[in-house]
Amino acid sequence: MLALAPDPASRRAAAGLARPACWSDAGTAGDLLWGSCAGSGRQPYQTVVDLTGPAYRCSCPSRKFPCKHALALLLTWAGGSLPEQGEAAGYATTWQASRQARAAGRGGTGGKPKDAAAAARRAGQRAERVAAGLADLQVWLGDQIRAGLTAARAAGYGHADAMAARMVDAQAPGAAAALRRLSAIPMSGDGWPGRLLAEYGLLHLLARAHQQEGTLAPPLAAVVRSRVGYTTSREDVLATPAVADRWQVLAVRDVLDGTIPARRVWLRGQHTGRFALLLSFAPAGNFSGLEAALIPGLELDADLHFYPGQPAMRAVPGPRHGSPAPAGRPAGAGDLTGLLSAWSAALAEDPWLTEWPALLTAVPVPGEPGWRLADPAGLAVPLLGQESQWRLLAVSGGQPVCVAGELSPAGLTALTVWHGDQAVRL
Amino acid sequence: MTAMSYAGLVAAATVGVGRRPELVTSLAGPAAAHVGVLSTADPAASVLDAAALLTVAHRAGWLPQTGVSHPGPAAADSAPELPPRAAALLSRAAEADAAVLTDLLTAAGAAGYRAPAPLLPALLDAAIRDRALRPAVADVLGQRGRWLAAHRADWQRVVAGAARPDPADGPDAWQTGRRDERAGYLAALRDTDPAAARELLRAGWASETGDDRAALLPVLARGLSAADEEFLETALDDRKGAVRAAALRLLARLPSAAWSGRVTERAWPLLRLEGTGPGRTLVASLPGGLDPAAARDGIGGQPPPPGISAAAWQLTQVISLVPLGQWASRFGLAPAEIVALPVAGDLASHVHAGWRLAAVRQASPDWAAALLTAGARHPQTLRAGSRPLAAWPADEQLVAVLPPAARADRVARLLSRTTITPAALAELTACPGPWPASLAEVVVSLLRAAVTAVPGSPAAQASWAGTRWAGELASAAARNLPATGGIDYAAALTRLAEAGSCPPPWPVVLHRIASTIALRRAFLEEIH
Repeated sequence: MLALAPDPASRRAAAGLARPACWSDAGTAGDLLWGSCAGSGRQPYQTVVDLTGPAYRCSCPSRKFPCKHALALLLTWAGGSLPEQGEAAGYATTWQASRQARAAGRGGTGGKPKDAAAAARRAGQRAERVAAGLADLQVWLGDQIRAGLTAARAAGYGHADAMAARMVDAQAPGAAAALRRLSAIPMSGDGWPGRLLAEYGLLHLLARAHQQEGTLAPPLAAVVRSRVGYTTSREDVLATPAVADRWQVLAVRDVLDGTIPARRVWLRGQHTGRFALLLSFAPAGNFSGLEAALIPGLELDADLHFYPGQPAMRAVPGPRHGSPAPAGRPAGAGDLTGLLSAWSAALAEDPWLTEWPALLTAVPVPGEPGWRLADPAGLAVPLLGQESQWRLLAVSGGQPVCVAGELSPAGLTALTVWHGDQAVRL
Repeated sequence: MTAMSYAGLVAAATVGVGRRPELVTSLAGPAAAHVGVLSTADPAASVLDAAALLTVAHRAGWLPQTGVSHPGPAAADSAPELPPRAAALLSRAAEADAAVLTDLLTAAGAAGYRAPAPLLPALLDAAIRDRALRPAVADVLGQRGRWLAAHRADWQRVVAGAARPDPADGPDAWQTGRRDERAGYLAALRDTDPAAARELLRAGWASETGDDRAALLPVLARGLSAADEEFLETALDDRKGAVRAAALRLLARLPSAAWSGRVTERAWPLLRLEGTGPGRTLVASLPGGLDPAAARDGIGGQPPPPGISAAAWQLTQVISLVPLGQWASRFGLAPAEIVALPVAGDLASHVHAGWRLAAVRQASPDWAAALLTAGARHPQTLRAGSRPLAAWPADEQLVAVLPPAARADRVARLLSRTTITPAALAELTACPGPWPASLAEVVVSLLRAAVTAVPGSPAAQASWAGTRWAGELASAAARNLPATGGIDYAAALTRLAEAGSCPPPWPVVLHRIASTIALRRAFLEEIH
């Protein structure tokens, strides 16, 4: 039941309110729970829960959903402390009736066309908001360049946060996330003006590309839309043709997307040789289901469906043909020449790309100012991630080893190394 | 306008194009071909366009560094790595308990395994934090671990502590090395050619500093023999006290040395056996001033501990230096009979103090056992007032000399009494494992009694007043209850924890002990 809580704070608050003493005129009848709970306002809050949904209604001003009152009411009921009543309170039955009327309207024969029309109207509204927001973004970026990058540093941490909030309002969360990330650059040490200008330029490019979306090839248009923050529904992705394979888990990386924990699971198909990315989010902090079960050293026999846009990388799993099973060392480990040409080709299709899967035979090389990862031909890229470097060095013993990781513009982050046939997370 | 590079763009943008509004109209490198897409209306937009173009061009045209040489590879290891399951258990132990980790690493090393490469950084880090782990970690590093440690100054400390120097390193280490390197070289030489090592030390002895002499002389403890006596005798006249003390410690380990004869001769008149049969008595007398030769032999070096007269302290010292076997042969009695004899006058405690010092220093199990029994029987006579440890080694020190079986028996007896003293518990936690079955049974029944005692009852309060005890007992039991053999203690403790009557916090404590024992058992099964 507590899994319904939107965050841990709500959970704690609800547990505190889940006592009969906090509630008056509370009861349950049929599928309804209701009660009044004294809050900070003059009037007690009236809370109703419909167990069929479950659906909630509360007169409190909380924007969390369900609010702590609804959760507390559920907990009280679960504890058996809510009295069974013959008839529900007036406000509860009124709300239930209006819910049922709405549900009947949706289910009716006239519902669909009206729904589609409403959806089209909403899509049109969003497109206008996004376009207006990105126009503001272009003006803001121009202002930054006119005023000089030093002004951004003078503004301190979070100089772009206000603009990021504007992008959230404009329903362009991708642009918002990019702005939040670049907010920290002026404090990131030597060379920050170059890094900041690069991010400004790429955002500017995104806004310009979005302006001309109609003239772009469909795959590139899909990239632009996804970078702006339009999402593709899971159902639409699952409707694309399936790619069946035994997908070997190469690497798993947990990151923070804004403040939400996100997990990237990199896969490689044993037969197709294709890479794939499963991206998942855990607002409550715990990954569950398939994403939690996939760890390097396993393979998944399943159909994958790729998101639209090029290069096709992000995917969702469709039907599975078995549980994740142990796999040995992956085939297909290449060298840096191959990796960097794949990276170039990928950037040609998506210039905003910042991470790309790497599967290499290579040696970590300690040194100053930074470590490098060298392939047998003596080519090398910077090796990132101070925590993982030593373990990689220990496993390599100075010899080339099979490494999986992520390539980013700054260098390569090693995530998994194979010690013989055994996958070792770094 | 010249072709704009990325650095040029950054310079312009840093200052701000508001002051010098100029359009970017040409670009450096391959991006020059795309200059047509740059904004021609707004200088700021042209800078942003150019930045995007050059950034993507730079990222896509990534040129890797060339000609990077690999680190010299690690030498091949002959010892096998721990199997993966054992390695997983080791990781779990590393998170749980450093003492258990030490035991498992020691067992792995003894079984001929080395640590798995992926665990090496964590083990080296743990050994840096916890000095007690270092020998066990150093023992399982293998070639790979030593190669890895060579890449980090802090990790080298783990390796250096356990370095087995190689005399083939050459005499350079002896001539120019640091003090520890020189001691390492000398030790290695001593192991292969004891006489050559002694002569090497003697050859440069006069020109060594006092600190060097004090650091190098103890190396002769390796392969000590009567041949070293003459050199050690000269060291007794050293200017530096630490050197004289080291020489005394070494001479004391040579029963045939003249020094032994001298200290024994000095003791005979001071402690005599008189009478026969049941009327036998020891008669002790205070030394009436000692000659300078006595000081040279190690008597009267330190001032007497507070509360003890100089003469009584000399008596204790004289007795403490005598090889314990000499008493038995002179009196024709066993150690237990000797220490049970009454001592005429009020010098009994000074005589026993000497024997206790000797038993600890000479590591004599017979005497330690006899003195422990005598001390328990006559606490008042033998230990009037509290003496400093320097003059009266504590029971724990004597216990540490006992062979493991005797030690376990003693602890089992102490724990079988109705009240458990802190001292008994301290002896238990210090008692090395795995405990013999007799002691293990006592500990398990102790835990059972604690768990089943009615909370708040006098019995529960008397024996388990402090949960601190429970914590110490739990750690010791987890580490030392036998993990292998006929009795499955993990299962026994789990049953106890799951009995309906088990009050908190015992279920948690017992499960923790049981899981550690199960982990040790699983690990030992993997490596044997």
